[in-house]
Amino acid sequence: MSVLKINKLTKRFGKLTAVDQLDLTIEQGQVYGILGPNGSGKTTTLGMILEVVAPTSGNFEWFGGIDNVEARQKIGSILETPCFYSYLTATQNLRIVAHIKKCDTKRIDEILKQVNLYERRNDKFKTYSLGMKQRLSLAAALLSDPPVLMLDEPTNGLDPEGIAEVRQLIRDIAAQGKTIIMASHLLDEVQKVCTDFCILRKGVKLHEGSVNDILGETNAVEISAADLDTLTESIQGYNGLEKIEKQNGSLMAYLKEGNSSDHLNKFCFDQGIALSKLIPQSKSLEQEFLKILKEND
Amino acid sequence: MIRAFTLEWLKLKHYRVFWILFGLYLLAQLIITNGGIFFLEWLKSKGADFDGIDPTILPIYDFPDIWQNSVWLASFVKVLISFIVIVSVNNELSYNTLRQNIIDGISKREFLLSKLSLILFLAAVCTLVLFGSGLVAGFMYSHVTDLKYIFADFGFLLAYFLQLVVFCLFAFSLAMVIKKAGFAIVITMLYSLVFEPIVTSILEFAPFTRDYTAGIVKFFPIYSMEKLCGKVYESPFARYLFQEIKDSVYWYEWLIAIGWGALFMLFITWILQKRDLKA
Repeated sequence: MSVLKINKLTKRFGKLTAVDQLDLTIEQGQVYGILGPNGSGKTTTLGMILEVVAPTSGNFEWFGGIDNVEARQKIGSILETPCFYSYLTATQNLRIVAHIKKCDTKRIDEILKQVNLYERRNDKFKTYSLGMKQRLSLAAALLSDPPVLMLDEPTNGLDPEGIAEVRQLIRDIAAQGKTIIMASHLLDEVQKVCTDFCILRKGVKLHEGSVNDILGETNAVEISAADLDTLTESIQGYNGLEKIEKQNGSLMAYLKEGNSSDHLNKFCFDQGIALSKLIPQSKSLEQEFLKILKEND
Repeated sequence: MIRAFTLEWLKLKHYRVFWILFGLYLLAQLIITNGGIFFLEWLKSKGADFDGIDPTILPIYDFPDIWQNSVWLASFVKVLISFIVIVSVNNELSYNTLRQNIIDGISKREFLLSKLSLILFLAAVCTLVLFGSGLVAGFMYSHVTDLKYIFADFGFLLAYFLQLVVFCLFAFSLAMVIKKAGFAIVITMLYSLVFEPIVTSILEFAPFTRDYTAGIVKFFPIYSMEKLCGKVYESPFARYLFQEIKDSVYWYEWLIAIGWGALFMLFITWILQKRDLKA
């Protein structure tokens, strides 16, 4: 059963088409990244599937077509800005969330401890720093132990430590077999945590696939040795070499098909050179992303 | 409905502004309905008399007249109760919590129901307090305390309840359109206390047009609400000057007010469905 099925979803704001005929299927257990530059329709798409933005046309169904309100109670959502009642405390705010999500209030203390807000649980939301506000929205999203987590730019505005924490959390939750849907413009982020992704531009889906398929080894190997000049000279004799480029402090060797980094290593060793660095270059989502954008220009 | 009210209750029970506004309203209502005797004492001390009658013996707290008298007086301060509704609705819009609530798992209909339950709660408490304070004043001053007199003319209490509900729905509609609480409060006051009363008074009393326009004023929203508890110039106290007064609410007056209530609800539903809630 798919967690989410989107069918020809379209949203127009006047003349602007923010999302155009979008089809998307998200299966259980996927960590699905919706990638796209700013203004590509990511947040509008999330808004539509959460029913806060009315679609111009098209439809979607959650969990094989259950009632949308019921479905939302099973989804923990963290959107860009944390929205809570500023005059209520963390505990009081979470009680409202528990009431809406029809879940037990017993876990409130436990969850507040988990996000490090337990000490401040009786302080009003308006006294919190941005980081604390974000941790409270995390607590709200996790409170009902939902099977699906939806994140919009989850690391926006966080400090490096916070970013690392959120990424670890996403991995931990994904490891429990839960489905995660996240929108991001940070390629690196999607590459690090997602299993599948799609690319949106101007509301149109340009590409969809698994992250592993698109990544993988390239034919480039970064090498270095104590005596770089000798290495440069002797490597010209290696017949598996396509070309060599000098980079600052190391060499980038591009290998012909059928050759791998261990062949190269053996060749160098036979020449009496010990390599101090041997790094096969893998593809990055960034390069592939730019390639896909270029192909669709 | 219970789920909707619980949601509202969780939001309000720790909200000091709510309790202050609500307390102030109940206080204002109590003063205006039960302060009459002090007013009469004051008149007496100033040496006023009505054709030789001591003002303090006027039976303003007699059952069942007390109900109509209290309701007519209390409706002067009704605009204050709508502030609670405006603040509560505008909080949801300005903190973006309406959007968050929907994302977390309520429908827009449930949101409307939760605010409606708040309005019904407020109106019910105000009406009950009016009933309670009426009973106290009645037992202190009424010349008759037979049960059949006490429980007569209860239609006025119901009219007061309906007036508060419809007025709050009117304020709710405005709050949905005007997203800033302060501005919404000003517009609610200006419209209900200034603009509409001026327009309806002209239509009703201007010598050259009243023959043609007096019939339509009863369809104006504030006019129709005020008709339930008596317009300013329909003072039930005129009866103590041996003048004839309007002493019941006509069936079409109930209907028009209920109609406005339904219309406001439809409007709010429509605007909720139509509007995109952006971050």
